[in-house]
Amino acid sequence: MREIIRVNDMTKDYGEGRGIFGFDFSVTEGEVFGIVGTNGSGKTTTLRHLMGFLKPDSGSCSIMGLDCRRDTHRIMKHVGYVPGEIDFPDVGTGTSFLKIQADFLGVRDKKRIAELVDMFKLDTDAPLKRMSKGMKQKTALVTAFMARPDILLLDEPSTGLDPLMRDTLIELILEEKRRGATVLMSSHIFKELDDTADRVLFIDGGRMTELVEKSELGRDMPQTYRLGFKDRGDYERFLGLTRLRVLHKSPEHLHLDVAVPADRLSQLFNEMSSFDMRYMKYRPFTLESYYSEIIEKGGKKSA
Amino acid sequence: MLSLPLLKQSIRSNAVMWGSMTGVMTLLCVQFSMLDMTRSLLFTIFYGMMTTILPGIYVLVTANKLLASQVDRGSMAYVLATPTKRSTVTFTQAFYLVNSLIAMFGVQTLAHLATNAAKPIALGEMGYTMLAGDLTSKMIAQVNLSALMVCIALSAVCFMFSGIFSSSKYSIGLSGTFIGVSILANMLAMFGNLGVDGLKNFKYLTICSFYDYQSVLFSGNEWITKLIFPAAIAVAAFTVGELCFSKKDLPL
Repeated sequence: MREIIRVNDMTKDYGEGRGIFGFDFSVTEGEVFGIVGTNGSGKTTTLRHLMGFLKPDSGSCSIMGLDCRRDTHRIMKHVGYVPGEIDFPDVGTGTSFLKIQADFLGVRDKKRIAELVDMFKLDTDAPLKRMSKGMKQKTALVTAFMARPDILLLDEPSTGLDPLMRDTLIELILEEKRRGATVLMSSHIFKELDDTADRVLFIDGGRMTELVEKSELGRDMPQTYRLGFKDRGDYERFLGLTRLRVLHKSPEHLHLDVAVPADRLSQLFNEMSSFDMRYMKYRPFTLESYYSEIIEKGGKKSA
Repeated sequence: MLSLPLLKQSIRSNAVMWGSMTGVMTLLCVQFSMLDMTRSLLFTIFYGMMTTILPGIYVLVTANKLLASQVDRGSMAYVLATPTKRSTVTFTQAFYLVNSLIAMFGVQTLAHLATNAAKPIALGEMGYTMLAGDLTSKMIAQVNLSALMVCIALSAVCFMFSGIFSSSKYSIGLSGTFIGVSILANMLAMFGNLGVDGLKNFKYLTICSFYDYQSVLFSGNEWITKLIFPAAIAVAAFTVGELCFSKKDLPL
């Protein structure tokens, strides 16, 4: 697979610990690559570098082998971008903005724009200044997708969208991926990356903390089961007896979350056999559980 | 070099400001040249002050809107997320700024040529008793050219600040100070010319001094030589603005 985006030991130091430090990763063709992190962790700064808006203090980044800062305009022929902060030029309505944007991008085929406007149920006649947050976001999304770009750089693309529209967006991203587009998107909503991303980069305080391959995520990881007990006696007895790792206790609801290593499911059944269970529930492994499992605990340890 | 979509966008987003300033300037010009009450003040008030104050306000607001404010608000991201070079952006915006001033003075000049043809005025009537004859069309064109060049220099300095700063408050703050000082010093220097000797030296504080309508009225050549300085200032300031904008980090 061809490497499309390459970030080489890139650092941008804004002082007082803000910025990004030693970022190093690459994104291959046709991949959906997610970046997850809290506010201020460096997601937007990373994307701004890829867009050529910022110059790294050290290191470099390139797209299709072209330096992001030096060859920006050549890279932009292939890139669709949704900025983290949305503010439009002062050109009146959504329609005239989309028209000017199409001119900028050299988009002659207006069919795709109509399709996208329809998909997002966007009212383009509204003046840009009167648009709600969600409408602005949709307008930005139409702009980013209208030229059918090979590469999509999306900075928290679902901000302000309602849940239905968020699903539409996820569908659209998957459609672009099937078409062969490479997507790099930042988010703090795990669900969207669970549904789309092949790999996810966790960042915290401007540093890369973990790079997770989605297909491997959960495979060798312990699986989580929630066990509900009939009464307190059983609950306490199980706690005393089990050799599985207990992730979460909830005496008031009489349930426990236990981590079951992938190859030891039978151990769970053995242990459970002498108990009167209310229920047993498999809790699918998500990025969120991964995050709270690994990252937050790791973060607390180092803090 | 020039981006047509961006030019279109700039024309659209600055149309109201351009229209109102051009309208006010043209109306004032028609009023000063037509009404008997004010005709004698055509040069002292209108060409002496209005042709720098009104375009001054226009370039102050517009130069900031063309770069700094768009970076500050983030809308510049939509321009730079397209295959448009930063140098193309600055060139197009500077092109718009200069040409909008040319258009502004063009409209105003045409209006004055029309009113002057309808109701000619003798130079003596405006206080230049030592000069014979009427104000000619050629003089009107030359005076406006002289004023235009100074306004282009003013616009270039504002544009430079707009290119240097990514925050409107700094861009408009420094541009505002610059325009304010230039215009105030020009007015004080004018009072100096009208007899208050102590104020004469203010002419060294402002590039508006390169605008010399008296030389035109006296059919001199000084005003032509004086075009060179604002032209050089304009080229230098546009270049600095371009370089800073192309090199700097943009928080988009």
